[in-house]
Amino acid sequence: MAVLKVLNVHKSYKEKVLDGITLELRRGEALGIVGPNGCGKTTLLRIMAGLEVPDSGEVIREAERVGIVFQDNRLLPWKTLYQNIALGLKYMKLPASEIRERVMRYARELNLSEEELSLYPGKASGGMKKKAAIARSLALEPDVLLLDEPFTGLDVKTIDSLKGFLGEVVKEVSTVIVSHQLEDLLTLTERTYLLTHRPARVAYELNLSGKGLRERVNLVREALLHLIEEVDQDSNPQE
Amino acid sequence: MTLSYVLFLAGWQVASLGGLVPGPLTTLERVLSLKPGEVFSNLLRTLYNGVAGFSLSFLVSMTLSVLAQKNYVIRGVIRGLSEMFNSTSALVWSLVLVATLGVLNPLPPILVVSAVTAPHLLSAVTSAINSVDKGLVEAVRSLGASQFDEFMDVLLPSSVPILASASRVGIGTALRISVVAEAFGGGGGVGYMLMRSYNLADVEGVLAWSVILFLTVLAMDKLLAYLEGGARKWQS
Repeated sequence: MAVLKVLNVHKSYKEKVLDGITLELRRGEALGIVGPNGCGKTTLLRIMAGLEVPDSGEVIREAERVGIVFQDNRLLPWKTLYQNIALGLKYMKLPASEIRERVMRYARELNLSEEELSLYPGKASGGMKKKAAIARSLALEPDVLLLDEPFTGLDVKTIDSLKGFLGEVVKEVSTVIVSHQLEDLLTLTERTYLLTHRPARVAYELNLSGKGLRERVNLVREALLHLIEEVDQDSNPQE
Repeated sequence: MTLSYVLFLAGWQVASLGGLVPGPLTTLERVLSLKPGEVFSNLLRTLYNGVAGFSLSFLVSMTLSVLAQKNYVIRGVIRGLSEMFNSTSALVWSLVLVATLGVLNPLPPILVVSAVTAPHLLSAVTSAINSVDKGLVEAVRSLGASQFDEFMDVLLPSSVPILASASRVGIGTALRISVVAEAFGGGGGVGYMLMRSYNLADVEGVLAWSVILFLTVLAMDKLLAYLEGGARKWQS
């Protein structure tokens, strides 16, 4: 059953960005969206989150609460990492003890120490900021989690540890992960939509559900070959 | 900075040798001979005029800036008024307001301070509002923030550094302007005492009250610089 549906969505700014995108996120699944830089993935994610309205088409959200982790984290620089994680819980008007319990729980799961939690974002590393941004969204206990390029700008060690953590998260929360690198999603997602260059449309739906790593690699190879053929056809339409 | 003060005092001392002005030590003796109660009450009056005028100006600027964001006609009117106020000297405001409201009325110094500082504050508040990161507003909205939360958690804190700098400059200016307005009224204050000394041809008195004003503005500047540092502690 779909928890979020995008139906024939079009969006233009000065030029056309999204060209009739249709996709769905099923309850409890991890969905990947991959496409080249600047193809409109972030716009699509923002439309899914309800932060932007499509020019035409429809977005159906069955989820009560949608959490989004922005590519640039968007932590408030005048609040510590702890206060940033607690922000949404404060807006929910939860009691202070529950706010503390939830913040500390997610901080622990993401390996953020109390000392790190007391830092302002300006003094925290990229990894700490990303973890705080993820914790801030997860602390709301969303039905759907949207992650925009969660591994960009991080070092290999942090990426590995985040992948391990997100591997556990996607088992519990319906998740959409947007990335420009297919390999980022190879072990995390069950289905992945491959988008074309701008204006983006869905070029391929890659189904990795229940597949082992070797099989996943083969399917990805197949998908990439399909994409190459499509690009060739676009470049040489007479053939 | 210490060297600047030493050079200034040395220059003052040299000027006093020719009998042009009383020297620094004579002036200091005169400051110390003033009745503490008289110094305190006049200083308090000047501080009150400066801070009250500045606060009024701050409130008006905040309100006008918010209104200006809503409508381009209001924005045009406010810009025109701001230009008018910016082109009018503190002396003109003082004379007009004292003549209109009366010499003994306590309002002219407060209103003069507001009229002179408002255009600068308005410009600072407008830049503060325009410099707010829209991405952060969107982020708190996505977390379920109300408009009040947005104001308290994003708009206000992101404006604090600009407003703190503007306030630091503004309050120093307010105190200096307040003195001009007090000079023409009868309500007391450092400006009133300066004018009284001048009318009595008491040059020592003029210098003594000038030194008191200088030290007060300097102390306020140091205090506000300290508070400004506190407001920016999150910046790396």
